[in-house]
Amino acid sequence: MREINLVINGSDVQATVADRLLLSDFIRDDQRLTGTHVGCEHGYCGSCTVLLDGASVRSCLTLAVQTDGHVIETVESLAVGADLHPIQEAFRSNHGLQCGFCTPGLLMTTLELARENRDCSRDEIRERLAGNLCRCTGYHQIVDAVQAVLRTGLSR
Amino acid sequence: MMDEIRSPRLVGARVLRVEDRRLLTGCGRFVADIALDRMLSAKFVRADLAHGNLTGVDVSAGLSIDGVRAVFVGSDFADHEVRCVSSYEGFQPSGQPILAVDRVRFVGEAVAMVIADDEYVAEDACDAVIVDIEALTPILSRAQALADHAEPLHPGWVDNAYARRVLRTPGFDQAVANAEHHLTLQLTNGRHTGIPIETRACVAEHDRGSGVFRLFTTTQIPHLIRAGLSLALGVPESSIQVVSPDVGGGFGVKAQLYVEDVACCLAARALGRPIKWVEDRREHFIASHHSREHYHTVTAHFDSDGVVQALEADIAVDMGAYSVFPWTATMDNGMAMGILPGPYRIHHYAATGTPYCTNKTPYGAYRGVARPAACFSIERLIDQIARHRGLDRVEVRRRNLLQRSDYPWHSPSGLVYDSGSLIESMDKVLELADYDGLLADQAQARAEGRLFGIGLVAFTEQTAHSTQEFKLRGVPIVFGYETVRVRMDASGHAVVAASIHDHGQGLDTTLAQITADRLGLAIEDVRVQYGDTDSVAYGSGTFASRSAVLAGGAATKAADVVADVLREVAAHCLEASPQDVVLDAGKLWVRGTPSRSIEIKEVCRIVYQRPERLPDGVEPMLEASRTYDAAPGTGAYTNAAHLATVEVDLQTGKSRVLTYAVVEDCGPMINPMIVEGQIFGGIAQGIGTALFEELLYDDDGQPLSTTFADYLMPTMTDVPDFRVAHLQTPSPHTIGGIKGMGEGGAIPPGAVIAAAVEDAISPLGHVVVTQLPLTPERVLDYIDAAKNQGGGR
Repeated sequence: MREINLVINGSDVQATVADRLLLSDFIRDDQRLTGTHVGCEHGYCGSCTVLLDGASVRSCLTLAVQTDGHVIETVESLAVGADLHPIQEAFRSNHGLQCGFCTPGLLMTTLELARENRDCSRDEIRERLAGNLCRCTGYHQIVDAVQAVLRTGLSR
Repeated sequence: MMDEIRSPRLVGARVLRVEDRRLLTGCGRFVADIALDRMLSAKFVRADLAHGNLTGVDVSAGLSIDGVRAVFVGSDFADHEVRCVSSYEGFQPSGQPILAVDRVRFVGEAVAMVIADDEYVAEDACDAVIVDIEALTPILSRAQALADHAEPLHPGWVDNAYARRVLRTPGFDQAVANAEHHLTLQLTNGRHTGIPIETRACVAEHDRGSGVFRLFTTTQIPHLIRAGLSLALGVPESSIQVVSPDVGGGFGVKAQLYVEDVACCLAARALGRPIKWVEDRREHFIASHHSREHYHTVTAHFDSDGVVQALEADIAVDMGAYSVFPWTATMDNGMAMGILPGPYRIHHYAATGTPYCTNKTPYGAYRGVARPAACFSIERLIDQIARHRGLDRVEVRRRNLLQRSDYPWHSPSGLVYDSGSLIESMDKVLELADYDGLLADQAQARAEGRLFGIGLVAFTEQTAHSTQEFKLRGVPIVFGYETVRVRMDASGHAVVAASIHDHGQGLDTTLAQITADRLGLAIEDVRVQYGDTDSVAYGSGTFASRSAVLAGGAATKAADVVADVLREVAAHCLEASPQDVVLDAGKLWVRGTPSRSIEIKEVCRIVYQRPERLPDGVEPMLEASRTYDAAPGTGAYTNAAHLATVEVDLQTGKSRVLTYAVVEDCGPMINPMIVEGQIFGGIAQGIGTALFEELLYDDDGQPLSTTFADYLMPTMTDVPDFRVAHLQTPSPHTIGGIKGMGEGGAIPPGAVIAAAVEDAISPLGHVVVTQLPLTPERVLDYIDAAKNQGGGR
């Protein structure tokens, strides 16, 4: 067991965790932030993607102890009260989700891309998000959503 | 039939989804998110041999690990099993033990169940349990299963066929004799399955006071799971509550009772504590059901004009080790035999079908159920007839496709197609995709030495089939109807409780659209409930492209009953006759005198809180439950045409889908945005069918596709942008003329892309593409074969 200190969605968190505890389980089970979903535990599907110091990581391939001293952002950080984040609005307006299971990972990967503050072609968007599997949408409307948010930007 | 929807404001519009807010903010509630007080974790030890005698399970080392509470083995649950018996004559039933008792029949079969304080400890203990299996020769193919002296895989069986079916129309032999040309193809469809991104999961608890089980589980069919659990546990249905909250994709794989559901209930009862199990991805590949592995031999008998006179089919489906609940082991076979003649004017048909048993993971439903294979077979035949007769693929289809005047069409397999627009949809997709332009692009590509092909398919999709159809399929529970309760409260809001289940299809939204329109409400004033057998009425659930039609119809009927009460009470308040009261946009008023009006919420308040103001004979209740089964129950037929272009890399054999266009006719659309999302998602799955997805086994029956590294699902870069247009031919049978469309997108892409790949490599020589998926290795084989044939170049 080890003590870790980190920031999750703007709040300081102190915890004592087993060395082998996955970040995904720490977030979901210990912190009860169940918006982050686990789809494969192999690092392929991308559903568990969170941002670590602003960069997308697979929380199923990251140990909780590795986040000591770092900053984590999850899907729960996006909306402010009842106001959806611009990325969430774009996914909703463009029907960029169906069952919603892979969606949190896609939102966080999109957030990383959107913070680069530049427009991308549809092909570039597809390249950047190809690490996130979605089984419902066929991706077309996700690309619509990401394209929309890259054009309008992140200001609320 | 009910009258048309009155002044619809929401039905037909691109209404944004009401479920999105919770799913986008991380507020969805999936089974794996559930944490109950005193809950323990379960993990399963699974067979690592495909076939063998289970000679011993030593749990002692597992039990000695700190934090392990129990280890169950087959004998602990030997009084229980999952069994599903088809009513087909000669069906050989199989019972799947909850945990294997004396025999294992597939790699992944549950052998022991570890209960521990957390998943980490449970997995440690699984590794410590020692399983002794005395290997037997596995049966892994049709040839092995149906060989003369093959040992039956189940006790009491005479061979390894679950059943055998034969179908032959009168006059078939004469039609064959009269046909001038005959063409036979043998087609293979790789084993693959739905693979939702959320794996299965369940949480079971048992209340010792009342004896009631409560099972949270990832299912599309809560009431059917309760029915199956009742049989497996030996307790009445009223002693079981099944709750299916948000579910992360289903596609058929979650429309089944699995042994893990039963095991968690039994363990919860034995230990008196809630038990949670979350399937891992490897388990999903080996223990959640498989699908799609069809072998067809099909023969077209046709005349010199390329018009089909008779069709012959031999169908075999590898159903794996056990018959599954509630589908049995004959569903795919029956569906394939029924729909294989497809959208064509074929009068004469003969078919044989053999669903057979092997030492593979059991086989169940996947979006489209047998129709992707049936479509692949008939469309490949039609393409070869075109080539044989030197006809264009469009022309040969035009000559054979059903026309509007052919409806209702009684198919040679006994189906009744209600309506459709096949030729119109084909013409429209040629226009949408700019077929002439594509032919020019192809000429240009070929001049540059690039392998560029075009594929085209028009097909018909049986949807919303209910009592009549499922009766014929031999399933023990006939999935006839769905049920909806509409209840208004004193605030003027409505709650719609439906027996279907939403797991991505947007049914939350579409049922709210329908109900809001019928009751003159805003969509925000309607809440849709589903998934909990204690709070919604009996019904089947969501599968087979039937929920919008059947639950939508039931919602319409129930809402209309409530609307009549609103009208009667309003009429009393307004001193008018109920027939003269109009209900719309939040108000009721006297026709022709809009100033004589009353708000809906005021009427609701009066009904519940001011009963003294009710007219005589009206009860203080705004509530109705109705069922709907879309008589005559033979289905509403959606149709579509798909056109794709593919470029094949001559060196690597990799096929890339460049463009994909669809014209879909599912009748009047409740929400075109959702319809398009369903089509796009289906096509992407179909691209997986066509190019990528295959559950492979080695010669010992070891599964080779157990991670996303071995089993390739289409990613964002494997799928193109889609173009879509709609036709809207209403069904004569259903409320609002609505047809189902949830599966259609996934049905033809295999056939479309195979045609395109064949077309792409045709300059090298002629080969017939008959095998899916078209992995680079297979395409290189086709390229080699084409080069050996020699061709136009």
